[in-house]
Amino acid sequence: MNLWRGIKGSIQPFGITFRNIFRKPSTIQYPEQKRTPAPRFRARIILTRDPDGGERCVACYLCSAACPVDCISMQSAERPDGRRYATWFRINFSRCIFCGMCAEACPTLAIQMTPDYEFSKREPLTLVYEKEDLLVDHGGKDNEYNYYRHAGIGVVNPRGGNPDEAPPVDIRTNLP
Amino acid sequence: MPTLTIDNKTVTVPEGANVLEAAKRLDIVIPHFCYHEALGSVGACRLCAMKFLEGPAKGIQMACMVEAKDGMVVSTQDEGAVDLRKHVIEWLMMNHPHDCPVCDEGGECQLQDMTVAGGHGIRRYGGLKRTYNNQFLGPFVYHEMNRCIQCYRCVRTYQDYCGGTDFGVLGCNQRIYFGRFRDGPLESVFSGNIVDACPTGVFTDKTFRFHSRYWDLEEASSVCPHCSLGCATIPGARYRELQRVRGGVNKETNGFFICDRGRFGYGYANHPDRPRIPRIGDREVSWDDSLEEARGRLADIAHRHGPAAIALLGSPRASLEANYRLLTLAHHLETDRIAFEAHPERDRTARVVAALSDKNSRSLEEIRNSDFLLLVGADPLNEAPMMALAVRQAVRRGAGAALIDPRPVGLPFHAVHLPLAAGRLSEFLQAVCAGTFENFSRQERTILEGIAERLRRAQRPILIGGGDLLGAAGVRDLLRTSEKLSKEDRPCGAALILGGPNSYGAALLSGETSDFNGILDGISEGRIRALVCLESDPFTDHPDLSRSRSALAKLDLLIALDCVPTTTAEKANIFLPVKAPAESAGVYVNNEGRMLAFASVFDPGTPIRVTGGGDHPPRVFEPGTPRNPPMSAWSVLGALQNRRESLNSLRREMEGEHARLAGLASLDPETDGRRVLPGGGRFEIPEIPAIPTEEKAFDLISIQSLFGSETLSAFSPVLDPVRPVPRFLMHSADAAEIGLAAGETLRVTTDRGGFELPVALSEVMARGCLFIAHLKGSPVDLPFPGVRFAARVDRRKES
Repeated sequence: MNLWRGIKGSIQPFGITFRNIFRKPSTIQYPEQKRTPAPRFRARIILTRDPDGGERCVACYLCSAACPVDCISMQSAERPDGRRYATWFRINFSRCIFCGMCAEACPTLAIQMTPDYEFSKREPLTLVYEKEDLLVDHGGKDNEYNYYRHAGIGVVNPRGGNPDEAPPVDIRTNLP
Repeated sequence: MPTLTIDNKTVTVPEGANVLEAAKRLDIVIPHFCYHEALGSVGACRLCAMKFLEGPAKGIQMACMVEAKDGMVVSTQDEGAVDLRKHVIEWLMMNHPHDCPVCDEGGECQLQDMTVAGGHGIRRYGGLKRTYNNQFLGPFVYHEMNRCIQCYRCVRTYQDYCGGTDFGVLGCNQRIYFGRFRDGPLESVFSGNIVDACPTGVFTDKTFRFHSRYWDLEEASSVCPHCSLGCATIPGARYRELQRVRGGVNKETNGFFICDRGRFGYGYANHPDRPRIPRIGDREVSWDDSLEEARGRLADIAHRHGPAAIALLGSPRASLEANYRLLTLAHHLETDRIAFEAHPERDRTARVVAALSDKNSRSLEEIRNSDFLLLVGADPLNEAPMMALAVRQAVRRGAGAALIDPRPVGLPFHAVHLPLAAGRLSEFLQAVCAGTFENFSRQERTILEGIAERLRRAQRPILIGGGDLLGAAGVRDLLRTSEKLSKEDRPCGAALILGGPNSYGAALLSGETSDFNGILDGISEGRIRALVCLESDPFTDHPDLSRSRSALAKLDLLIALDCVPTTTAEKANIFLPVKAPAESAGVYVNNEGRMLAFASVFDPGTPIRVTGGGDHPPRVFEPGTPRNPPMSAWSVLGALQNRRESLNSLRREMEGEHARLAGLASLDPETDGRRVLPGGGRFEIPEIPAIPTEEKAFDLISIQSLFGSETLSAFSPVLDPVRPVPRFLMHSADAAEIGLAAGETLRVTTDRGGFELPVALSEVMARGCLFIAHLKGSPVDLPFPGVRFAARVDRRKES
């Protein structure tokens, strides 16, 4: 019994190899040849801008809270016009596992994943991306959304000026 | 004691408790907004619905409005109740903006939690959202009215609990608005409490605006270091920066709330000039070098001039452990020249309190439950604000309050005020003991007899005294009066406001040692050559600045341990940086004699905001924290004695040495603390020379101001906009006599030099008195609180 299995096990691989010699290869000659990744491929992270050109990121810390490997850190602050923004924003890509939790958590669509997977570096510190490295000048996958037009606290539009808001109430009137 | 059943679990609660409290005891979480343990319930939010199956109430009711009764059977998971709660949360969310990412409350927002708990996820309402305009509420509180859900907690906190009058509810119908009636900053010094009370983000901490998320903060139970009451606080730190303080819960001291100095005075820990590296002269050195140098130079002085040439100065703002290690350092160096307070009169006052008050000492909780309060020489809003709130709660429950104080004291409650000159406070106390008021004018006698009568009739009376104005002798008289008025079935208590968070503890350790004046004399005469200052600043905290400065200049060696850039720290020959209160663990003994432990919140180091210059933090890896040498003061002092120990072993040693500190080692920061054991014995007050009274001389008294006097909060830039301006306060009739109008400049000449400051007038103060609010770090060398001297006044000559 064992003898027959041994003989079969020695010959069968030759058969499989022989069969595959005539098949079309499934590997490609990377980096000369490149594949187009799927649209929802999760690789290098970007910070997008809203249609008016402002930074979408409001430094709400939700991405850093969602990040399972703690690779996102930032400091929030207030601009004179009342916009909340990140004074600095840092993603340590040498630690990032590209799970996409940050993009899922982002309430303003600021943080998005791109299919750009080619960014291995020799120096770990060059993989620490700052805000300037992450910011792009487009809206990424959704060009229309501007968070502050829905927030309802009057930063981009005047108070009560968004489409779903009534004008500010007059607290001094007693009329019904 | 009714027993009821909630969700098939049985619980017994005290009489008068409501069903929501009973459910809380069973750890059943029911969404609620308007109910708050300190504020009670009003049934405004309609969220705590439960189904009452058996008992006097039937059907779906608001649990906070139903008193627990025997035999009740309640279900929180009943289908109807769950459905009602779901609808209520949906309509509360109807006008709420979509701004959680830019709201500072996010993460610690009760509305977020309750929305999730209530099961509301998708917005169904398609109409327009109501919006409001915001108000500017001053430097501390940020207003975002769109987020409001009308639970009335802010009004109940600000008006009912804290006695503020400038903020409340306006409007009607769908336009209910919570804000100030006029433009301007919030006036109450308890305004920060509406930040804690608001269940959502209508009121947020402006000093913490957009700094951090709640979940990123390092927090721990701590004790407020700004006055002697020892309120519980919860400081929060991130990136090596103390970013905010919120009120903690200690039922025996503050309850739930804290004052604005405790909440917004935290900037000292992040002060840009905070010394963080050990120094010898101007040279920054390592810990080993600095300790070696300190040990060597102390040994050298002891060798050349004898051990008595070394003196040590502790501090009421240093922890009990640090002060104890200073005491053992004195034993180690074989010197008995040690004092625990740079201000000799405050030192004596604290020692009198530590020695004499034991049975009759009262906590803030007991003040809240008292039925008559007599304040003597106390200005609680400036000296210990939460004391004023405690008295207010008693007054709200029907207690009476009276105030004998020369100042025009503002109080958040109604009290009879008799402005009696500072020198007559002791006379008044003795008269209360004796029961006759013959030395007083007829008008005064009528008021005083009324007060004495109420004091006799009250069941739980408490005398409250301010240490600065009464002085040691006055405090002794007050404690004796409270003993005299006590009967077997009706004890009369006493509560005294002391100088610092650990004044009582420092006084416990001092025993019979000399005061700092003795040390200064020794330095002037050349007998004392070296001084070790633990978190104290004799250059600015001594009542006679010229005397202390000229003496201290003669020192051969000044060693300073501190966490803030004081004058002493700057002038020290050897400077040793120590941890700020929020960074180290320790124990304070508050004015009642209650040991309160606090935990370490974070490790010191230059904040990232500073190292990164506000921009990106550095991109280089470092094995250590930048500039983190500050050590706990007790461990630095231990190292000077070649000791290596843990905080626990130190506390056990202290417990063994001092019988009154029993229970110290097992003290937990999460608990309400523990009273020190009685047994102080006697403390003889040395004879203090009386103030020379001159004809036509005014009694110039330096008093505390809430945002100006205390050392640590003086180093908090956030408080700069609310600091008082230096000015004199005098009776309008006195001013009229010399032809002075409010706002004009008054020239005051004393034997310590002259001052020229504008004058403010008042009619509800004692005649012949002149007050000046102390301002730490002010360009004018104002005298320190607790100092009185004769002054001649006249109008400034116009040149």
